[in-house]
Amino acid sequence: MSIFEELQQAIIDGKAPVAKQLTERGLKEGIKPHEFFPKAIIPAMDEVGRRMRDCEFFIPEVLIAARAARGSTDILRPLLMGEEAIKPVGTVVIGTVKGDLHDIGKNIVAMMLESAGFRIVDLGVDVPPEKIVEAVKQHEANFVALSALLTTTMVNMKGIIEALVAAGLRDKVKVLVGGAPLTDGWAHSIGADGYGKDAPGAVELARKLAPASA
Amino acid sequence: MGTPLRDLLFEQGVEFPCGGQGRCRGCRIRVLKGKAEVNQAQQERLSGEEIAEGWRLACQCAVEGDLEIELRQWDAAILVDETPFAFRPRQGLGVAVDLGTTTLVAQLLDLATGRVLAVSTALNAQARYGADVMSRLHFAVLGGGQAQLEALIRQQIGALIEQLLFSAARQGAEIADIVVVGNTVMHHFFCGIAAEPLAHYPFEPTEGGLQTFRSSALGWKLVGDPRVRFLPCLGGFVGSDVLAGILAAKLPEHDDLVGLVDLGTNGEIVIGNKEGLVCASTAAGPAFEGAKISMGMRAATGAISQVTLSPPLNPLLNEEGSKANPLLTEEGTKGWCSHGRLHCRVIGGGTPRGLCGSGLVDAVAAGLELGVITTSGRFANGEASWMLASPVTLTQNDIRELQLAKAAIAAGIKLLMQRKGATELARLYLAGAFGNYIDRMSAQRIGLIDFPPETVEAAGNTALLGAKLALFSLDSEGGSYAEVRRRIEHVALNADPSFQDVFVEELAFP
Repeated sequence: MSIFEELQQAIIDGKAPVAKQLTERGLKEGIKPHEFFPKAIIPAMDEVGRRMRDCEFFIPEVLIAARAARGSTDILRPLLMGEEAIKPVGTVVIGTVKGDLHDIGKNIVAMMLESAGFRIVDLGVDVPPEKIVEAVKQHEANFVALSALLTTTMVNMKGIIEALVAAGLRDKVKVLVGGAPLTDGWAHSIGADGYGKDAPGAVELARKLAPASA
Repeated sequence: MGTPLRDLLFEQGVEFPCGGQGRCRGCRIRVLKGKAEVNQAQQERLSGEEIAEGWRLACQCAVEGDLEIELRQWDAAILVDETPFAFRPRQGLGVAVDLGTTTLVAQLLDLATGRVLAVSTALNAQARYGADVMSRLHFAVLGGGQAQLEALIRQQIGALIEQLLFSAARQGAEIADIVVVGNTVMHHFFCGIAAEPLAHYPFEPTEGGLQTFRSSALGWKLVGDPRVRFLPCLGGFVGSDVLAGILAAKLPEHDDLVGLVDLGTNGEIVIGNKEGLVCASTAAGPAFEGAKISMGMRAATGAISQVTLSPPLNPLLNEEGSKANPLLTEEGTKGWCSHGRLHCRVIGGGTPRGLCGSGLVDAVAAGLELGVITTSGRFANGEASWMLASPVTLTQNDIRELQLAKAAIAAGIKLLMQRKGATELARLYLAGAFGNYIDRMSAQRIGLIDFPPETVEAAGNTALLGAKLALFSLDSEGGSYAEVRRRIEHVALNADPSFQDVFVEELAFP
């Protein structure tokens, strides 16, 4: 098994210390930091996404795998700063809407997007529209990803889209929405650019809508 | 456009878990004869195969001609209370009402003897606008339907009271006092208090206090215009039903730490003793009620309500009589479907049709015990489902739904235990219908109620019992419950940063 295959397996199995060791060993053996992403981390998290879809993995397994992936990326990111810096696929401002405190689903989406090469600005939970608008400006984001788990709070997504319009930012970002009570039809009706049925779905969507230059 | 099928079916007692929004699959029907259109919501929620077989979401259909349908739903089992209780006699008649999100129970009492003269029960008429409190709040707040919900429930309880007097042959008799208990949302709907703040974080009641009315102000024409009191709430999702439960189970009289858990869509948890109590609610979702479970149904005819193994999980438990394995008794195998070590009890005998909450908990416990299900919740053989008793299967997704519900309750209990610095409880009371039917051994096996079964006790409808007790102690403004209320601290679990971590930990099975 190559070191990339070993690292993939360690991430899928959620073995953070092993993932770290393998990353360090690979660097010592002369592998370039940016190579780890397409050859190990991204395919590993894609596999985690597939298993999640197939009900093979549940929230704990996904979180543990994401933590293992992070063990590896935490070592690699500082090394990518120099000439080897890879441009993020896109910048995503993510948060759970105002009035709602659910953050597990949002965190899983954030971690999967991050492993897929997106830069993540996580605003947390109970996020008012102003904060989203401000973050989009400040970080020049291409995506706004919104989560809501309550039928009574999901309507606040509409307010956020309106705030983006009012700030003149609507055509600068793609708005992705998700959460248990949502449907594709509803997402469409409030003017979102896409609805992610689950975390892998959100990643797929973000990849599809990512700026062509990346 | 035709007549909405929702209206027609609701009259017949059919429930619409998501409030008729086409979001859940709870109101599935199969069209046997006639025509019902498929709209987009149905295409999203039903598979092509199901649509081809005639399955529809009743809430999304309108009918123009005769229609013959098959229903996937059930009758509701409503738990009343006949527990003897101590009281200070007073003159006259009293009425105690447990206003539940799903069901209503009212009892007429002779306050001099404490005797229950009549009982009436019904499905909450508001249920057509959503089965759980959140979807009903959605209708009230975003759909502008709060006044409608208020009128519906006042009217329905008024009719229930008249029915009580009628069945006790006391028409025209004077009622001295009426006490109503219910969760905070029901409190706001009944009392006509703005429910909007309950729909989002921080979920604080507008006005959670004791509400007193004259029955005429509620539109009830009762002799003597009796006083009607809705007992006070404890917090955003913890209402007077829990306060009543605390009184009924006498939690504040214990020296040792004890607990009260109501297993429902909103799980409520209380832990404490005479020194003080903490309470919280936790969103368990509808898995215990059979919703979102592929073959889920209420505990009605055709439901698998119990699953056991031979030899049983714990033979000792049967000798102690906690829950005898009926297979070992005279009743023999009647009403049981068996294959291999697995035995399923079907309510009413006959062909199994689905799985109710207690059966679901049992099935997963049995699966864990047999090694069919791993501690992560995955089927060990990687299959997508497990046959319990043909044609009823347990799917991988069903286990996931149960894991979410179980983790919410278990995490809530764990955090409240931590607050009290407790590692064990002298006694844990299970309130409500589900707590009455769930197998304590199985509940422990899946980590839902992780306490030795001998310390866990089904306490029945404690909300109704507490409401009855309040009829006798309400003379002074407040009485005993007001004093108790001051000693209860409400904990907002959703705002506790460690809740989500503990929740994720609790998703796995022991």
